[in-house]
Amino acid sequence: MSVSDVTTLPDPDAPFVEDRRGLLWLCEREVVRFLKLWMQTLIAPVMSSLLFIVVFGLALGDTIADVDGVPYKQFIVPGLVVQAILTAAYSNNSSTVFQARSDRFINDVLSSPLRWWEVNIGLAIGGVVRGLLTGILLLVLGVAITGVGVERPLVLIVATVLVLIAFAQLGVIAGIYANSWDFMAFVTSLVILPLSFLGGIFYSVDRLPGAWEVVSHVNPIFYLVQAFRIGFVGHGDVSTWLALLVLVALAAGLSAWCAWLFRTGHRLKP
Amino acid sequence: MRPALSVRGFTKTYDGGFTAVDGLDLDVPDGSFFGLLGPNGAGKTTLIGAVCNLVRPTAGEIEVFGHPHDARNARRLVGLAEQDINLDRFLTVSEVLIYHAGFFGMARRRAKGRAEELMDVFDLTSKAKVRPTALSGGMRRRLLLARALMHEPRLLILDEPTAGVDVELRSELWEYTRKLHAAGTTILLTTHYLEEAEALCEEIALIRGGRIIARDSADGLRARYGADDIAGVYLQAMSDAAGDDRGAAR
Repeated sequence: MSVSDVTTLPDPDAPFVEDRRGLLWLCEREVVRFLKLWMQTLIAPVMSSLLFIVVFGLALGDTIADVDGVPYKQFIVPGLVVQAILTAAYSNNSSTVFQARSDRFINDVLSSPLRWWEVNIGLAIGGVVRGLLTGILLLVLGVAITGVGVERPLVLIVATVLVLIAFAQLGVIAGIYANSWDFMAFVTSLVILPLSFLGGIFYSVDRLPGAWEVVSHVNPIFYLVQAFRIGFVGHGDVSTWLALLVLVALAAGLSAWCAWLFRTGHRLKP
Repeated sequence: MRPALSVRGFTKTYDGGFTAVDGLDLDVPDGSFFGLLGPNGAGKTTLIGAVCNLVRPTAGEIEVFGHPHDARNARRLVGLAEQDINLDRFLTVSEVLIYHAGFFGMARRRAKGRAEELMDVFDLTSKAKVRPTALSGGMRRRLLLARALMHEPRLLILDEPTAGVDVELRSELWEYTRKLHAAGTTILLTTHYLEEAEALCEEIALIRGGRIIARDSADGLRARYGADDIAGVYLQAMSDAAGDDRGAAR
């Protein structure tokens, strides 16, 4: 077979018709990419969070008093689940977008007929699915091991959706702005991880001295942890509405920033 | 007849203030094999980037078969094989091809069939399940060309496709591109190999400092500059343009 045998020329004036939406293909590619590395992208983070539940919850939990009437081994599950979800969504998208820019195969997408918002959604969806699968696995294991329930499932569902949107978009933004792998490691290790631990995963901020309690309320991840805790155990350190409102603001702000980057091509196209 | 590519007053000034292309006009006729020659930094890759929606023009209009270059109707008509090997290292060879077709809206069955055809043509069938990182340089170069052809583009842009490849592969790539052109595909080729442009292109434009300084068939350029070959044309045209630039600066 010769290349001329397989060459047909499209009519330049025929309308552009998609037999299957390009957006679906891009979403599929992003999910396939992390599923190929499932040990690293799914099992490892779930095991890591599970170790916290086992060590702090089961091994040490009996020596720690109940927090607001909740056994300690159950108290830490919501925070660990949300931390695993947001880390998965962020790290998936920051690395995939940075690699696509660094190796320049993002040009394959940018030069295609995909619209800017389709590219945005398509590149974000890998982190959303990876975060969701991580969260579901950890939820199942957390419930089985600690017996924690889901008191307010609707709050948990809404909070999960908002966290996935916010951190999937944050990952895309980081991938677009990053100039090196060091930048991504910096954000994960020196921003997200400390904020998560200081966000009340392992304690109630009510127990902190006055100044530290105030500082905790400036940390956005604190509200994520609270929203998940309300979903799991029915109550937290702030009201449901305040926790969800902060999540909505975070998701909306990061989505708007991401949309601006794709619409203008800022940092994506010189 | 409507050109495959029409560029009017295209200017690109990068964020740092460097103007790579300044008011460039260019028409590439439908069905032609068109060569763009120029030194590094002349503006070839900037122009190609703008045509393919990878570079934001500062000013000017670019049309592909009469459609604004950033319209979906224009983008589906253009295929691009870049100078750099820009392949997704986590996908297999067949996945690289199939997903590319998918971004252009192809149905799964058709995309798979098309990928099989092109892997056959470019002798990549035995490597279908292999990742690009495991391919030889020549195979990666063939994969780039196959990917650019997946969505059946009417205008194929080849940015220095034979840079750094051995003589045998270069000959193969020449053969592929000749056949594509014979089948009606418009080809825009940039290259540093002057003999390549002379052997393949019906028309050649010389670009320097973001401006087209000469344009004609290889024969026409030889006659105009009184040169024996296209290398002589190139050196003379660049020298004349440098002289003009110095004169203008005074």
